[in-house]
Amino acid sequence: MTVLEIMERAGIRDTNLAISWIKDAIHYIESTQEENLKVKKSGIIKGQRDYDLPADLISINSISVLDTEDDNKYKRIRRLTGPIEISEDLNP
Amino acid sequence: MSYNTSRNYFWKMNGQKLHLYQLRKNALLSPDVNGRIESDDTELVYPDEDINNGLRVEYNAFVKPFVTADPNSLATDSNETTWSNPSLTEASSPEETSHVNLNRMLSLACVCFVQAQNAAKEGNIQLKEYYMREFYKKLADNESNKKKITIAFPSPVSSVR
Repeated sequence: MTVLEIMERAGIRDTNLAISWIKDAIHYIESTQEENLKVKKSGIIKGQRDYDLPADLISINSISVLDTEDDNKYKRIRRLTGPIEISEDLNP
Repeated sequence: MSYNTSRNYFWKMNGQKLHLYQLRKNALLSPDVNGRIESDDTELVYPDEDINNGLRVEYNAFVKPFVTADPNSLATDSNETTWSNPSLTEASSPEETSHVNLNRMLSLACVCFVQAQNAAKEGNIQLKEYYMREFYKKLADNESNKKKITIAFPSPVSSVR
């Protein structure tokens, strides 16, 4: 469906405003549905806890870590819930 | 060498950062340097090894939100086995002729969302809520379109056959 068709159906005349709202709608859709998935990989560094997330991330689908002893398979890891006892380790 | 990573690694979100922890298992009844014995034999530590490209993040993102060709029609459709999807080029500066890179149902949901925002702009909150309900209904319809569920009901013995 073109932007023009959406504008005509919704009765909007302002193109820029319509495009902004369509972008918002896509953001809502990506937040709740799995329409467009992307994958990014980065290295794990010994003693480093904090890792950057991709800037274009809307919602996380899964986090995996490479298992080098099982034929290099990426295996999904679990999310921790609740607070961690150690807030920072200065000598990891 | 990482092993059994699905059991030994955990993640947690902290603001815009991903925190990665590794589960370290210690031998029970082995005293530390002070002679203390811990009753719990596991602890969470920072990753204890380098793994090249070891972290994989799968996530939802904007992927070509506006494209130049219709994403809902096949590029070639000769017969059952000869067909191909259109190659989509992103419209970096979307305009009225650009296509929204969504299927038909989600495009209709977009229409409802735009109507809702327009109603809010005009101060009609009740109408906005109505269109937002329609928006979410279409999202739900889109999800159910991906599933096929068959439900069988046993007919009672006394029913007319």
